[in-house]
Amino acid sequence: MNKFAFFPGCMIPARYPHMEYAIRKTLPNLGIELEDLPEASCCPDPIYFKSKDKLSWLSIAARNLCLAEDKGLDIVTNCSGCTATLSEARHLLEDEELRTKVNKRLARIDREYKGEVRVRHIVTVVRDVAGYEAVKESVKCKLEGLKVAIHYGCHLLKPSKIMNVDDPNDPKVMEALITALGATPVRHRNWFLCCGKACQDEDIPANMMRDILSTVRDVEADILCLICPTCFSQFDHGQVRVGKRFGEDFNTPPVYYFQLLALAQGIQYENLGFNRQRIKPKILDKIETTLSHA
Amino acid sequence: MNRMSSENNLDKPKEDEIVRIDFAFRKELAEKVEGNLASFCYQCGACVGDCPATFYSDDFNPREIMLKVLYGLEKELIGEDSVLWLCTNCYNCTERCPQDVKPVEVIISLKNMLADRGIVPKTVSRIIDTFEKTGRTVQLSSAVTKERAKLGLKPLEEIPMDEIHKLLAPAEEDSGK
Repeated sequence: MNKFAFFPGCMIPARYPHMEYAIRKTLPNLGIELEDLPEASCCPDPIYFKSKDKLSWLSIAARNLCLAEDKGLDIVTNCSGCTATLSEARHLLEDEELRTKVNKRLARIDREYKGEVRVRHIVTVVRDVAGYEAVKESVKCKLEGLKVAIHYGCHLLKPSKIMNVDDPNDPKVMEALITALGATPVRHRNWFLCCGKACQDEDIPANMMRDILSTVRDVEADILCLICPTCFSQFDHGQVRVGKRFGEDFNTPPVYYFQLLALAQGIQYENLGFNRQRIKPKILDKIETTLSHA
Repeated sequence: MNRMSSENNLDKPKEDEIVRIDFAFRKELAEKVEGNLASFCYQCGACVGDCPATFYSDDFNPREIMLKVLYGLEKELIGEDSVLWLCTNCYNCTERCPQDVKPVEVIISLKNMLADRGIVPKTVSRIIDTFEKTGRTVQLSSAVTKERAKLGLKPLEEIPMDEIHKLLAPAEEDSGK
């Protein structure tokens, strides 16, 4: 078993517990073990709290990294925002002057950041530690015929020098992970576009979402697969808002990758939260029916 | 702007037309974490072509923001309804910049200056407040607590807020004074 310190963040445990459930159920099937970090706080988020005070943001991120250092385990994150914060903090703290500054703050709570652990997005752990072949072998019900559009989101890939996940201009990891489930990945014209969640405006994100959802509809994808809970909320609740605003029905259910993996591994459909979504992936219901009769 | 075209009539620019670099503003910005990055900007505009906020809005242009930083045009960046909040934080600018300016980080440093002056949009300050009170940016609802129990997931633990608050307090040691 390969063991990691699990950093679930805020959004998944506090808003989308089914995603956490799916991760905890699927990873052991891939030979990956998770150890909790009970005292961990918000990463903190790379959009809002970072905008208030980057040095405080860095100090709290460093505290979270220290918790994993105590256990001597690399961190695995399931949210692109947490990955962005913790990876960037680790990168910035390589600077001696900044590290000294942050360690002065950490000394107030008797901690010290040493720089001993890595931060890995769950997608890279599955790719590099388990491997695509292991994913394929863990599948009990191939998702054959399911056309899956992909939204990579921004912080999984960029800044690429810090994230080191994949080529930001031509990433492959999500396509490969979807293919491993027996489903068919489809790339749409706006695959690279941001979900717009962080932009403090109404018009810009609405138009961005409309463009993404339109191209996903053009390629006749059944679902939109993503790997970030923030993008998920944008494409679930946000899709309802955008649909009303433009008087269009995009009918593009968003699905978090590990929920899809869980379904393919034969984990009970009703525990995966699909029925709690605003835009429900009804097509997956059929797959479950096939599975229970298999 | 055809002042230069009539050679015989080379009026001196009026006092209020002269752009004066505001060094106090630039110094304040430079003290932020990665606050001095804009100094390396040579205004090529690589950031603009791949910026979704620029594509979807005439108001936002990262090259212009960097130029305003170089001149120290504080009033155009720091104030109510600042254009800075249109940034989508997508990091495309950082990918494209040949000078490693990281325009998005410059924008975040400028937002830190806005926050120092207490000018933060409500949607943003609400999330910051939730974090400072609970250690999380998302409030846990009773429905999710129930759902977690149903799924056999452990209840979420209280975050040691005394530690968080100690880390948040600014200190003399930060500025090195």
